[in-house]
Amino acid sequence: MIDVKGLTKSFGKLDVLKGIDEHIYKGEKVVIIGPSGSGKSTFLRCLNLMETPTGGEIIVEGESITDPKANVNLIRRKMGMVFQHFNLFPHMTILRNITLAPTTLKLMTGEEADKTAMELLERVGLADKADSYPNMLSGGQKQRIAIVRALAMKPDVMLFDEPTSALDPEMVGEVLDLMKTLAEDGMTMVVVTHEMGFAREVASRVLFMDDGQVVEQASPEEFFSNPKSPRLKDFLSKVL
Amino acid sequence: MDIFSGVGEFFLGIWNAIDKALIRDNRYEYYLGGISNTLIISLFAVLLGFLIGVLIAVIKFLCSRKKHIGFLAKICDLYVFVIRGTPVLVQLLLINAIFFCYRDANTLLAAIVCFGINSGAYVAEIVRAGIESIDKGQMEAGRSLGLSSVQTMRLIILPQAIKNILPALGNEFIVLVKETSIAGYIAVTDITKAAQYIGSKTYDIITPLLIAAAFYLILVFVLTKLQRLLERRFGKSDRR
Repeated sequence: MIDVKGLTKSFGKLDVLKGIDEHIYKGEKVVIIGPSGSGKSTFLRCLNLMETPTGGEIIVEGESITDPKANVNLIRRKMGMVFQHFNLFPHMTILRNITLAPTTLKLMTGEEADKTAMELLERVGLADKADSYPNMLSGGQKQRIAIVRALAMKPDVMLFDEPTSALDPEMVGEVLDLMKTLAEDGMTMVVVTHEMGFAREVASRVLFMDDGQVVEQASPEEFFSNPKSPRLKDFLSKVL
Repeated sequence: MDIFSGVGEFFLGIWNAIDKALIRDNRYEYYLGGISNTLIISLFAVLLGFLIGVLIAVIKFLCSRKKHIGFLAKICDLYVFVIRGTPVLVQLLLINAIFFCYRDANTLLAAIVCFGINSGAYVAEIVRAGIESIDKGQMEAGRSLGLSSVQTMRLIILPQAIKNILPALGNEFIVLVKETSIAGYIAVTDITKAAQYIGSKTYDIITPLLIAAAFYLILVFVLTKLQRLLERRFGKSDRR
């Protein structure tokens, strides 16, 4: 589904990604972990061109998105993204936050969008918040709304950039639960996170990144019980 | 008795001055004409200035990431540099002399254009500050949903930016309204010019000027009220 070939990214003289080759299959839940500064967020953000790669190629469903002629906006419609800091639009109601993109891009009429949004809100148990503004919500609620907002575009893949890192500990659970439900529904997901429990439970594959490269990858059982590279062993001994 | 006649004479004197400056020979008609011109110039100059200002600020923001149209940002910088670096009176006289020197030229239009262009430079800087005050996650969230940069700007960034800069904008518009009092230099009969004209007829310049000053005060008072009203309207999403 997503094919990454020789991806590199530099900020000025700093090489953040040093050549990544990866394939993400449909329905896979790929969890990326690694120390901060290892390039895992940058890698994720390259997948929907939030960051422009310096070199290499990314092919999404047969289409090269790193081609300068590729229509970035069309590609992003099919790739939902959830941010660490939610990034809800504070001047709009929750309902409008969700319906803005589908209606502006003329993918749905106002009524359809409202209906879809209410159904999604119902599913995450926040239907009563439809007319509230984002700053009336708790962090966990905000992040669930942010996920719903991305889902309203009916994406083929969801990218999560440390979705629980900015949350109070007691709110992490509600967000992870929603992500688990999403995974069970068969959504293709790429998740950058520090939640090892989530990785163990939900991932179909765990990648360990360090110093701009994928150092090791395996199924979660293999990954956590039998790490091979010394760098990963060291990392796991610190976080587990 | 002397005190009473003294006080009586004092008020009679004031009444005479007002009568002479305002009522006799239907002189209030001059003020009304002047007020209407001042209002017309102010209203259209504010609109023009706001349009130019937002346009310049948005162009500068969007050009900052796209290097191949970087020259547009240079042009905007030059405009702001020249307009902010020269006195508005000199600009008024120059614009009038260059573009409105033909017979029966519409000096009212000349004034509107000049004050609009002048205000645009200041508004551009205010709006730029407003745009920069918005977290860059907002742009990312908009783009990640497939909206174009212009759509994100219009629907997400600008509404929040303008809310943040309302006090500064209100200030700028109040300054602009008072600056229009130099329109008399190019033979526009605004309220100040009308007052001067009456003064030259009655050999009493102070009373007409006080009347003009009172009018500006009322105008600025109304503008201030309007600004508060707008701030409250935009502040809706701040409720908790």
